Order: sequence, then structure tokens, then C-alpha cells
Amino acid sequence: MDYLVAILLPQLLHGLVFGAALGLLALGLTVIFGLLGVMNFAHGELYMLGAYAGIATIGLTQSFWVALIAAPLLVGALGVVTEVTTLRPLYHREPLYGLILTFGLALVFREGARQIWGGEIRRVMPPVTGSTDMLGMTYPNYRLFLLAISSMLLLAIWLFFTKTRAGILVRAAVQDAEMLDGLGVNVPRVFTFSFAGSAALAALAGLLLAPIFTVYPQMGVEMILLAFIVVILGGMGSMGGSVVAAFVIGITQSLLTLWMNPQRVAIAIFGIMILVLIVRPRGFFGREGVLE
Amino acid sequence: MRPGEYRALVVFAALAALPFVPGMSRYYLLLAFDALLFGTIAMSLDLLMGYTGLVSFGHAAFYGLGAYATAVLLERGYTSLPLCLAFSIVVVGLYAAVVAYFATARRGIYFALLTLIFAEVIYTIFRYTQTFGGSDGIQGLPDAHFWPGVPIETAMQKYYLVLGYLVFAYVVCRVLVASHFGRVLVAIRENEERARFLGYDVQRYKMVVCVISALLTGLAGAIYPMRSAFATPDLMVWTESGEFIISVMIGGIGTLVGPIIGGAFFTILRDKVSSYVDWYFIVIGLVLIFIVLVMPKGLLGIRRLFRRTVEA
Repeated sequence: MDYLVAILLPQLLHGLVFGAALGLLALGLTVIFGLLGVMNFAHGELYMLGAYAGIATIGLTQSFWVALIAAPLLVGALGVVTEVTTLRPLYHREPLYGLILTFGLALVFREGARQIWGGEIRRVMPPVTGSTDMLGMTYPNYRLFLLAISSMLLLAIWLFFTKTRAGILVRAAVQDAEMLDGLGVNVPRVFTFSFAGSAALAALAGLLLAPIFTVYPQMGVEMILLAFIVVILGGMGSMGGSVVAAFVIGITQSLLTLWMNPQRVAIAIFGIMILVLIVRPRGFFGREGVLE
Repeated sequence: MRPGEYRALVVFAALAALPFVPGMSRYYLLLAFDALLFGTIAMSLDLLMGYTGLVSFGHAAFYGLGAYATAVLLERGYTSLPLCLAFSIVVVGLYAAVVAYFATARRGIYFALLTLIFAEVIYTIFRYTQTFGGSDGIQGLPDAHFWPGVPIETAMQKYYLVLGYLVFAYVVCRVLVASHFGRVLVAIRENEERARFLGYDVQRYKMVVCVISALLTGLAGAIYPMRSAFATPDLMVWTESGEFIISVMIGGIGTLVGPIIGGAFFTILRDKVSSYVDWYFIVIGLVLIFIVLVMPKGLLGIRRLFRRTVEA
């Protein structure tokens, strides 16, 4: 019982918190994957830029809350510019070109951040401090806040995709952009909007996780592989699947750290991934035959 | 000989004469070494990308494993070049057979991701296991020997070593691509179902070309510590695999010669830009974006464009 409360339960909660934030990151990746047919290698850099944009805003205004609004807006605007100038000309080309383009964008963003903010590790002070006694244990308030806000965001995104016209258009574009174009919808605008939204979500995840992790130019590269894994596990192009998979990976990872060192955990996650790709490549909820 | 082969001969002859160009310094010879080594790797990757239509995101692991195989032997005082190469073939070959077996069962993005994740496993093991020096890798290696008593120590010897390997790898790739085996690979790239209906065991063809490409890359890795005197886990980071893919694209996919040029161009660009500014990754990223947007056929594509306008 003591083991349960003192060790297992906090670790489970850690997993849940991390999974929720990972879900925000993976969701944007899935949408872009559905639209472009490629993994967006620059997604990790947008996540990293979100954290730095947050730090810059906090430096100006001394407020984490202003940063929480400004960071996704700034990175979303960068997303619009990026999409219009570089991705739009590639719509009708081989997906491979998109892959290489985003790889190039990632290089520019990462090095740009290092030039502007330096390579050293930075920390962000949590806006919510202290801890709460619950379920017989003490848990940091910021993590509870993180869990709450991420869950609310995920819920809002779900409502957006199911209830609003804009959300339904994005889903339609993921399914079949050509058909949507034929129906007279301005598809390039839907693409730009989706890319900006996905960038803003990545930025939010970056800033929200910043007080728990640390901020440095390479942080995106280290996160992006995990996000890829989440997207595959959930089934590529399936948004609900990504969220479920994010929680599964988040919890698995944090429970495994109880018994293994972080490197073994990484290898174990890779192992699970290889197994999934071989046995059931469409993941949890992916449609059969898509891209197999 | 066909005209194309004459041209290759001329290029290789020019490369062989490179050390005798007036003003050629040790620094430039070693830069040429790096450029040709990177070019060779890009060419081996082109067998997969250009001819079979498979994008491997895990070639850094083959490269790194080859380098570590040599490094482990050199560290223990076994400095014979043939021995190092043979050991690399065994190590890389075993790993490549496993990766190829599983990865070729899947297509497209799944193939890319399987190769990527296998490579990350290898990277994580080498990066965090102290047996192979952890993040520092294996440093301060002695020179390898062509045979007992003849060390590979001068920049010129190292340069000819890599040039010899490039010629060997080029001939292997050319022969392979021109053979019946190569034709089947192209058929698989163009229409996998049809190739299967014609009775070809598609997965076996893919596995074989994967292992060949991996071995050519691994051998390039085996040569690297003979120039640098170290092997570190940085050689197998997945972004390194990305740089190989980029080199193929810069040069021109599916041309063999193109990727050699692309790899050399990429290496020289990185070296030259980084000696002037410390934000060279931005320059490289912008060059990449420029190439994708403006000249998707790569550097060789420009030449073709030029020729077409002349003929027309």
C-alpha cells in the first residue's frame, strides 16, 4: 500500500501529465502528416521555439500568463509565413521533397534559436507553486495545472474538429484534399491554417513543459522522435489515436523509469515501436492499407 | 566503353591527380578525403533511394558501426587494413541483415521509420554504454597499416585510400544497376505489385539491395577512423542519416554520380561556411530549402536543363 501511494501513484500521474502535453505535440504532427503525407521534421523546432518565445515574453512582461498567449501566436505566425513561402509550392510534388524541406527548416530554426538565445540551458519558473495533498500523497501544483490545461485544450480541439465548420474542413482536407478542392473549398487556405494551428499547439506544449524540463536549442530534436512514435502508434492520420497513444507512451515511459535507467527505457520504447511497426503498422486506429 | 564511362574515367583520373595540384595542403587533402567519403556514402544510399524507391533514415548506424568496428581493433593494436575492413563487413553485415529482414517487410514511410528506430537503438546503446567509451567514443587511435610495416600515415596515403574505395564502390554500383538485378529493382520502384505478379520475390530483392547499400556505407565508416583517429556516437545520430539523404537530393537522385557530387558539395559547403561564420547550419538549411524549391532535380539536373536547351 505504501509502495502504491508513495511511488506508483505519483509516477502514474507524472505519466498522465507528460502524456497530455505529448498529445498536444503529436496532434499537430498527425494533422500535418495527413495533409502533406510526410513527417514534419521541423515540428520539434516549433516546440522549442514556443519555449523560447515564452522566455522572451516573460522577460518583457514578467508574466507567464501573457507568454502562454503570446508564444503560440508568435509561433503560429511563423507557421503561416513558413507554409506560404516554402510548403505551398510543394503541394503537387513527391512527399520526399516535403521531408527534406522540413529537415532544412529544422536546421534553420534550431541554429537561429542558438544564435539569438545562446546554447546554454535555461529554466522557466513555474507560475503555480506549492503542492497539494491528495490521495495520501503530495503532488506539485504546477503539474496538476499542466494536466488540467492540457486536458482542456485536448477537449477544445476535439470540439473544434467535430463541431465547427473550420474543423470539419481540416479533417476533410486530411482525408482527401483533391475532392475538397473539387467542391470549391480554398484548400491552400485550409493548409496554411492547419500548419499555423499545428505550430501553435507545438509552441504551447513547449512552453507548458518548460518549467518541468529545461529549455535549450536541441530540446526539439530529442522530443520529436517520441512524437513520431506516438503518431505511428496511434495510427498515422488518426487524431484520436494520437491522443490515446500519447497517454499510453507517457504512462509507459514514466512507469518503466521505476525499474530501469532512462537509456534502457528509451530502448524499451523503441523495441515496442519496432514490434508495432512489424505486427500492426497501422497502429491503434489507423485505417488498414493506408501508406502500408 | 560507353561515353558515360569515359567521362567517369576522366573524373577519377582528375581526382587521382589532385594531390599534385600546386598549393595542395594537408588541410585540403583531408577535406577532399571527407568529401569523397561522404560522396561514397550518398552513392550507396542512392541504390536504395534512387533505384529501389526506399528511403532509409538509418544509414548513420551502418556508418557508425563500421567506424566502431575499426576503432575497436585499432585500439587493441590490430592495425591491419584488410582485417579492419573484414571485421566491419561482419559487424555491419549482421546488423544490416536483421534491419533489412524486418524493414523490407514494410513500405514507404514505415520502411523509413523502421530503419530510423533500429538506428536509434544502436545509437542509444553506444552513447550510453561505457564499454565503447560512452559519449566520448574511442579516441586517440593509432594509424592503420596497408600491410605490416606500411602505415597509412600521410594525408596523401589516406586520400588515395578513400579514392580507391570510391572507385571500387562506384564500379560495384554501376555493375549492379546495369545488371538484371538492377532492372528488377527499378521495376519494384515503378510498380511493386506488377514486379511481384511477374514472379519476382520482391522482398528478397529489397533485402539484398539493403544489405549491399549498408555494407558499402559500413566500409566507408570503417575507413573514417583511419583519417580521424576516433569514432564517436555522433557518427550515428539520426540527423547524420538526414545529411546523407540531403546529399543524394542535392546531387540528383537516381544518378549515382550525382550523390557523389552532392556529398562532396555538402561536405565542402559545411567546412567552408563554418570557417567563416558560426551559424553555418542556417546557410546549409537555406541551401537545402533553395534546392527543394528551385532545382528539385539536384545539381545534375541543372546540367540536363542546360543540355536540353542546347539541343532544342
